[in-house]
Amino acid sequence: MSARAAPLRILLVEDEPIIAMTAEDMLDAIGCAVVASAATLEEALAAAARGGFDLAMLDINLNGVRSLPVADLLKQAGTPFMFTTGYGADGCGPHTDVPLVPKPYRIVDLEAAIARATGGG
Amino acid sequence: MPELKAFLEGGGEAGALIRAHDWNATPLGPIREWPQSLRSSLGIALRSPAASAVFWGSDHVFLYNDAWGSLLAGGRHPWALGRPAREVLADIWPALAEQFAGVLRDGQAVNRIDELLVRNLGGETFDSYWSYSLLPVAGEDGRIAGILAQVRESTPFVLRGRREALILRMAERLRLLADPDAILDAAFELVGEEVDAARIGYAELDEGAGTISILGCAVKPPLDDISGTFSIPDFGKDIDEDLRAGRTIRIDDSARDLRLGEAHVRKVYAALGVASALIVPIVSGERFRAMLFAHHHEPRRWSDHEGALLRAATEHVWREISRARAEAELRRSEERYRRLFEQANDLIVLATLDQVITDVNPAAAAAIEMPREGIIGHSIADFLAPGQFDQAKRMLEQKIERGGTTQHELIIVSRSGKHLNWDINSTLTLDKSGNPVGLHAIARDVTERRRAEERQRLLVNELNHRVKNTLALVQGLALQSFKDGRDMAEAREAFQHRLAALAAAHDLLTRESWEGATLDALAAETLGLHDGGEARIAWHGPPVRLNPKAAVSLVMALHELCTNAAKYGALSVREGRVEVAWSVAGDLLTILWRESGGPPVRPPERRGFGFRMIERALAADLDGSAKLDFDPEGLLCRIEASLADAASRGEEE
Repeated sequence: MSARAAPLRILLVEDEPIIAMTAEDMLDAIGCAVVASAATLEEALAAAARGGFDLAMLDINLNGVRSLPVADLLKQAGTPFMFTTGYGADGCGPHTDVPLVPKPYRIVDLEAAIARATGGG
Repeated sequence: MPELKAFLEGGGEAGALIRAHDWNATPLGPIREWPQSLRSSLGIALRSPAASAVFWGSDHVFLYNDAWGSLLAGGRHPWALGRPAREVLADIWPALAEQFAGVLRDGQAVNRIDELLVRNLGGETFDSYWSYSLLPVAGEDGRIAGILAQVRESTPFVLRGRREALILRMAERLRLLADPDAILDAAFELVGEEVDAARIGYAELDEGAGTISILGCAVKPPLDDISGTFSIPDFGKDIDEDLRAGRTIRIDDSARDLRLGEAHVRKVYAALGVASALIVPIVSGERFRAMLFAHHHEPRRWSDHEGALLRAATEHVWREISRARAEAELRRSEERYRRLFEQANDLIVLATLDQVITDVNPAAAAAIEMPREGIIGHSIADFLAPGQFDQAKRMLEQKIERGGTTQHELIIVSRSGKHLNWDINSTLTLDKSGNPVGLHAIARDVTERRRAEERQRLLVNELNHRVKNTLALVQGLALQSFKDGRDMAEAREAFQHRLAALAAAHDLLTRESWEGATLDALAAETLGLHDGGEARIAWHGPPVRLNPKAAVSLVMALHELCTNAAKYGALSVREGRVEVAWSVAGDLLTILWRESGGPPVRPPERRGFGFRMIERALAADLDGSAKLDFDPEGLLCRIEASLADAASRGEEE
């Protein structure tokens, strides 16, 4: 765990509240701050458009709806992001180079993915 | 005057007979008085190698050479010498008298070719054919005094011609007939033209059973149709042997024929009305197979002609019947295959090597949703999904190169645009020399199977997702339950209860096939667990159905509320009560949790996981809000949910 000058600001997109809460705690533990969260595609698109975060953590499947439009939007804006999923590796659409963290999470995986996504790995 | 008889010299036996004959008492008188014209013409006749004779005078006194002598059947030679023609040729004289008289009267020669003369010798009538010439011979006075005759019997040639013509007609007629019975009828009719018998029939042998089956008869009174099955030995051992050897059997008189020696055999013939019989067997492959027979109710002599005709006919009948049966078998076989083709549930498509469809069975036509006629003539490509024709062509090339069958799956597009998966087995059709001339494909529609497999795949993926999601959920529960600084025993118990609540929610949803659950059932499942059978928790409200996600979330929330009430709230004392009431107003579902009768409520210093989960998780999953009111009288929790969202959305993907 590296010390940071300022905590990394995270947009957390996750439809399952308990998992979101877990992710928040884990991110908090590794020095990240969840500054925005979304549970649906609409919320996520709005949050992505608003900005104000350094990295987005996107659940690929939001209660049956793919979050790929959010990924497309972030890619356009040049904002780093990573995927989380309960499925296998497929479902990333064209973003195959984006880090993917499988559920259930391990802190080491989150750390590695954040490092890769932000170019710090 | 020996020199006067010189014309008789070199006249062979006949000449000698004439010389020795006493002519004094005859109309011709002694030889020395015979006119020169008689001597000359007789000299010519005697020296002729052909059957030649002189009929002299108005009585046509008969003088013949050796060759004619050998034609005289029935012991008429040399009795006939010097006798009038009307005696010698008595049986045919009615036909000849006028011809003879005409020659003498008009001096006109008669020349006949293959003239039919019905003979009757020794009481037996038969056809005979003769070619003859009657030449007028002028006497001393210039008037016609006699006839120089030459004759040649052509009966065998004419009869052979008649047989050949008949057999030719028979061949032409039978060839066109498809039915064995019709073949027999036609054959009997034709044979009847030449063989005068009261019964003509056809029989086949069943060697194994030792029987003969008479398949058909043409009859004239008094004989009747004896079609049926008979035992071979009943017709006599010798007869049986002859038939097996392929020998034609002539029985002129069954009462006298030695081959029918045994009494019971004669009885069989008598019972069938057979006084005479002509039987021709067919031996094929060295076995006696069938026979054509003629029966007559009276004794009669069967001629060579009849025997020969029956033999020729038998071969034709046998061959044509075999042919008709083979054709019938082929038709039946084709019919069987046609039925298979018509009725098969499998899809059958026949095509040329250019992949042009030549036939489809009804099942295939129905699948393609077009009439058979509309499909025939089209390329297979017309019914394939894009890109599939290349695969079909590759499979055809493979079959042409390596032979055998190919099995592959193609996507067919029906007329209405339905995509059908056909699992196709196809083979080349070959001509007689083994060259491919087309292909036939038998397919099975596996569309449903493919769909089921796809569903299965989706389900397995979904299951995997759910398991992963549940594990993540459990992970969350664990992390929250075992937060730093908690009492371990307490944390463990809390975690166990949460897992139990989660399991109960899954049980409920599984019972409902993951189609959601009613609020009432959810309440019963969760609250009943905490009630301890004391009816301290009451719940009521209108029927409302929640989607699975909302249901799980609500179960977890109710569980947390119950746990809190049991620890710190109304359920921690005997008098305490909990009431859960819900109501629906338009799209809005409101659930009210109200505790009463418990110890005074104080807001907690720090919101634990339970309350956080209620306020956040439940709010999110119900697309609404959950508010906790720490009223000192009792905890209040007001949950509001959008029914459109919480109720309508089905199973998550």
